Amino acid sequence: MACPAFSRAASANFHNGKEGMDVANKSKLGWYLLFTVPLLIIFTIVVIIPFLIGIYYAFFDWDGIAANPMEFVGLDNFVTLLQDDRFLQSAWLTVLFTLLSVITVNVVGLAFALLVTSKLRTANLTRTMLFMPYLIGGLILGYIWQFVFLDVFAFFGEVTGLDAVFFNWLLDEQFALFALVTVFTWQMAGYVMIVYIAGIQGIPGEVIEASKIDGASSWQRLTRVTFPLLMPAFTISLFLTLSYGFKIYDVNLSLTGGGPANATELFAMNIYNEIFGYGNYGYGQAKAIVFFIIIAAITLTQVYITKKREVEM
Amino acid sequence: MEVIGTTGDDYFQQLQIRLSNGTGPSIFSLQNTSEAERLESYVYDLSGEAFTENIAPNMALMLDDKLVGIPYGVEGFGLVYNEELVNPEDITDYESFVSTIEELEAEGITGLSLSQEAYFLIGHILNYPFSLQEDPVEFIEQLNAGEVSLAETEEFQEFADFLEAIRAQEVNPLEVTYDTQVGDFAAGNTAMIHQGNWVAPMLEDFGVDFEVGLAPFPLEGNDKIAVGVGSNWAVNANKEPEEIAASIAFLEWLHTSEEGKRIIVEEFGFIPAMTNIEAEGLDPISQAVLEASNSGETIMWSHNYFPAGIIPNDLAPAAQEFFISEDMTGEEFLENLDAAWDNATAE
Repeated sequence: MACPAFSRAASANFHNGKEGMDVANKSKLGWYLLFTVPLLIIFTIVVIIPFLIGIYYAFFDWDGIAANPMEFVGLDNFVTLLQDDRFLQSAWLTVLFTLLSVITVNVVGLAFALLVTSKLRTANLTRTMLFMPYLIGGLILGYIWQFVFLDVFAFFGEVTGLDAVFFNWLLDEQFALFALVTVFTWQMAGYVMIVYIAGIQGIPGEVIEASKIDGASSWQRLTRVTFPLLMPAFTISLFLTLSYGFKIYDVNLSLTGGGPANATELFAMNIYNEIFGYGNYGYGQAKAIVFFIIIAAITLTQVYITKKREVEM
Repeated sequence: MEVIGTTGDDYFQQLQIRLSNGTGPSIFSLQNTSEAERLESYVYDLSGEAFTENIAPNMALMLDDKLVGIPYGVEGFGLVYNEELVNPEDITDYESFVSTIEELEAEGITGLSLSQEAYFLIGHILNYPFSLQEDPVEFIEQLNAGEVSLAETEEFQEFADFLEAIRAQEVNPLEVTYDTQVGDFAAGNTAMIHQGNWVAPMLEDFGVDFEVGLAPFPLEGNDKIAVGVGSNWAVNANKEPEEIAASIAFLEWLHTSEEGKRIIVEEFGFIPAMTNIEAEGLDPISQAVLEASNSGETIMWSHNYFPAGIIPNDLAPAAQEFFISEDMTGEEFLENLDAAWDNATAE
């Protein structure tokens, strides 16, 4: 975030020459401070400080009630974590959920983007409609889909006779996770579609035309020209879906509530239940720290890999 | 004054969050002693207050020898039944229970419906095998210490048979919310629901045109209704002295003034647990609870002595697993409940 500011400040200096430099520099600096400092303060108060306090709490045995004693236990919480079957199961479920979601959200989102940037008559309307689910809050979405799985699916199953596919997914330990993936995809696909649309529209027409003249088929054009030039959009979309997928809580809460029988209790919910259900604040914090490290490691790796594949025009 | 609302399954968690961050309410609800213990530093000692002398015997919430909670009222649960569909005299034990729900099922009516919320799915109904023990509190202590197991206790074995019969019905409780459960009952699609006097206002809203009654759950031939205190008013000791005084004054007003007493009985529809409040014109379910309570023909609410948070945290997932696995036996279910209990009591 700071980088563009610095580079622009540097170029401003360069253009102003020696005399005007100090004055211009000072007034620019004033403006930068005016806009960044309030945000920086808010960010520090609501993110950085609680984060640091959270790390501190992770080394204590404490129930989260201010007046009750905190006992320093060192790394015990982190050791317990490795033997906590429920946590490990939750971790595995989260990884599975995120993997499936990243694939479906991006495939569907990219397909949508290609559809609405093609010569479709109703492109604008379609674009709006596809984006709309993202505007509905995850909590409400979960309740809407609960109804879909409960009544609509059962109805489809009865009418079509395909009751091996159309039954209440939320009552099956495996299918409940697929239900989560479905709803998350429905919500997020429209959002990443926007990112992909921006990417597709940024591809210069002459490159596409040149490839046509060179005799590339539409499939070759897509995979050899469009996709490489879309890498920046892939970087962003994969990053967003990866981190959103790992952090999901709202849809999880309203659609399945972690059930049936904890079969869809994902990371964030496991941490919430540990802290507020079982009253193990310190232990829950330790989980949250591990959670943070995992997400940071995975998303940074992903950004590093996809960044490397981006093509400079 | 501001009222902070949340849902039943989430109340204690939300309360802890608010108390910890300093935005906690001046007056809050406590269900039982184990919750009071956890919030020990927040509960104000109400022992000296004159109006607390009116609390019915054994109904005050005590922490050691301090009085920390004033009962909302007495509540009772059991089989809430539709008199047009069920005669409670036909349901006296396991066999008659099963034959009744099978007959109803044959007519296309759900015999007994539970709902997906933790307390309505397992929390309340699990009381019976505990409350029928000679000394339920001692039994729970032994269970916490690992000296007894549910799977090896007779009352629980029959309880598991009951649940198998309930699961054998067409409707899966996990697909039923509290609202649909009561709605289906009001519409005559369900003959019995396992609920308590708190459904009466909702049934009135639905305008049911049949008589409703409250019958005991016939585990091991049980013929008593489970009666207890659902929740208690507690005062936040971590507030300014003036605010504490105001909170106490409010509770005193609620339990001693004519207007306050009227509100408790008429508006809240509570069955008073205070000797200075007369209850008249109660709905039939509440009337049944009051009569049972006065005659002493009741069994206790054992779940108030369960480890804090066990019902939503551990018992509900075990029950969910039972209701989605058609082939899980009652015995396996009890073993899962034992495991859930161990998990809740392990530190």
